[in-house]
Amino acid sequence: MSHTTGATDAAEATIEVRDLRKRFGRTLAVDGLSFTVEPGTVTGFVGPNGAGKSTTMRTVLGLDAPDSGQALIGGRPYHALRTPLLEVGALLDAAALHPSRRGRDHLRWLAHSHGLPMRRVDEVLEQVGMEQASRRRAGGYSLGMRQRLGIAAALLGDPPVLLLDEPVNGLDPEGIQWIRTLLRHLASEGRAILVSSHLMSELEDTADHLVVIGRGRLIADTAVADLLTAASGDRVRLRTSSRTEAMELLAREGGTVAVIDRDTLTVTGLPAERIVELLGASRVPFAEVGAHRATLEEAYMELTRDAVEFTSTPASDADEVTR
Amino acid sequence: MRWRGSLHALHAEWTKLRTLPSTWWLLVATVALTAAMGAAAASSLTTRVCPTPTACHEDTVKLALTGVQLSQAVCLVLGALSIGAEYGTGTIRTTLTAMPGRWRVLASKAAALSLLTSAAGVLAVLSALGLARLILPTPPPVDGAMFRAAGGSILVLVLVTLLGLSLATLLRDTSGAITLGLGILYVVPVLSHVVNSPTWQHRLQRWAPMPAGLSIQATKNLAGLAIGPWAGLGVLAAYAVGLLVVGGTAFRLRDA
Repeated sequence: MSHTTGATDAAEATIEVRDLRKRFGRTLAVDGLSFTVEPGTVTGFVGPNGAGKSTTMRTVLGLDAPDSGQALIGGRPYHALRTPLLEVGALLDAAALHPSRRGRDHLRWLAHSHGLPMRRVDEVLEQVGMEQASRRRAGGYSLGMRQRLGIAAALLGDPPVLLLDEPVNGLDPEGIQWIRTLLRHLASEGRAILVSSHLMSELEDTADHLVVIGRGRLIADTAVADLLTAASGDRVRLRTSSRTEAMELLAREGGTVAVIDRDTLTVTGLPAERIVELLGASRVPFAEVGAHRATLEEAYMELTRDAVEFTSTPASDADEVTR
Repeated sequence: MRWRGSLHALHAEWTKLRTLPSTWWLLVATVALTAAMGAAAASSLTTRVCPTPTACHEDTVKLALTGVQLSQAVCLVLGALSIGAEYGTGTIRTTLTAMPGRWRVLASKAAALSLLTSAAGVLAVLSALGLARLILPTPPPVDGAMFRAAGGSILVLVLVTLLGLSLATLLRDTSGAITLGLGILYVVPVLSHVVNSPTWQHRLQRWAPMPAGLSIQATKNLAGLAIGPWAGLGVLAAYAVGLLVVGGTAFRLRDA
């Protein structure tokens, strides 16, 4: 990109949320939330629906006034920004387009609001692959096209900070892959990116850092790598056709065994060598013994178990065999 | 810096209005309704009741501008849509992230709407008066009173557009704003026919925005008016500007 107004100015590219509180009627939507989004990282903002993600983002963008606390962009509140589009790009709701306005005209008025040249409109449309579709009225756009136009709007001012609320929601696999690549690329240019999602799996391979919230409170603020290491623990994963025999044997020897599926188990408390030795000695057939690597989804489920508002009996708890 | 920001905001709001087909349809409807109703009213006039064709007491300028009574409703819709549709589609949040100064956004919308409506108003009034001159047996004299009626009618259209904008800003909803606006414009004058007390009839005609505002169209028999032409227009302006301030204050204080 030829246009790099703010992306190089790494010192300013942060989002800081400090002890933020926001109440709607009787619901406390955000309850003393603090976190920082650093330049050059994709920070996933995760929590179940209704956890306060959108409220937090609206507060950062100056749309909602906080009851207490602060939300700062590069150290300043949003309303103090003279040219906000050059400092923050936001996608809140991709569906928010006037159906009878052409996509290109939607970007045009946004560009006019900051005196940006029309060349920028063409550049961002090309970047998101919407040159042709932008000549049509937005009423006929698919969800994927709306998301792309929304991202084009966020990139219009080439801002060092990006806030995207559920940008992957409803996209096809190709669209998801496209957004992942784009976000990685934008972060590598030094931008601070906050991406919300209610599905942790959407952020796998995209986020470097995670801010997990539930009921408006911070649950975790951690690097993705650390979280995965913690969630994987010292578990060993193995496949066996004699599941019951293997479980009894390993539990007797002090292991904690959990069932993953019909022929897969994970074992905690026994090293892999010992498991191989025990199963071999008792002639229990097995294969594929190795360290278990938790998925981001599993790690997230463990973190939010206590925080989700309506908990059904979690399947993983019911399956756990501990003796 | 500040004035440049205001110019950018005006440019953005102008582009928003310009890029919606509904804007142009509503402006065309304003001109067409004003002209067509003026022509119809002029052709329905008969000189038989007049003592002589030149001594007729009919206020022909006012008659030619009758269409404003109807086309102002179209302007109300235009004003209400300009922000009501933003609440309906959710683009109000995009607007406020690009332009966080809410008074500036509202002022830019009001300015862009006023520019478009006054241009359409000039066309509407010119065609209505032009058609009337062709149709009427004795064309009205071109004098100060006629210019006041013509210019005042354009201002009525602009003020009613701003009334629509104010109500939709306050209610955050297009249909609610149109319903309330039509009520304010048309139901209050109807009430003045329903009430028995002459005192209340007089009050309603003085203080209801439409009868008061349209008194600017009178060119004859001014002493018989419930309120003077400019004072009447002032009443309408007070409604429009007053509600704009109320709507703007709510807009400034509320979460978007």
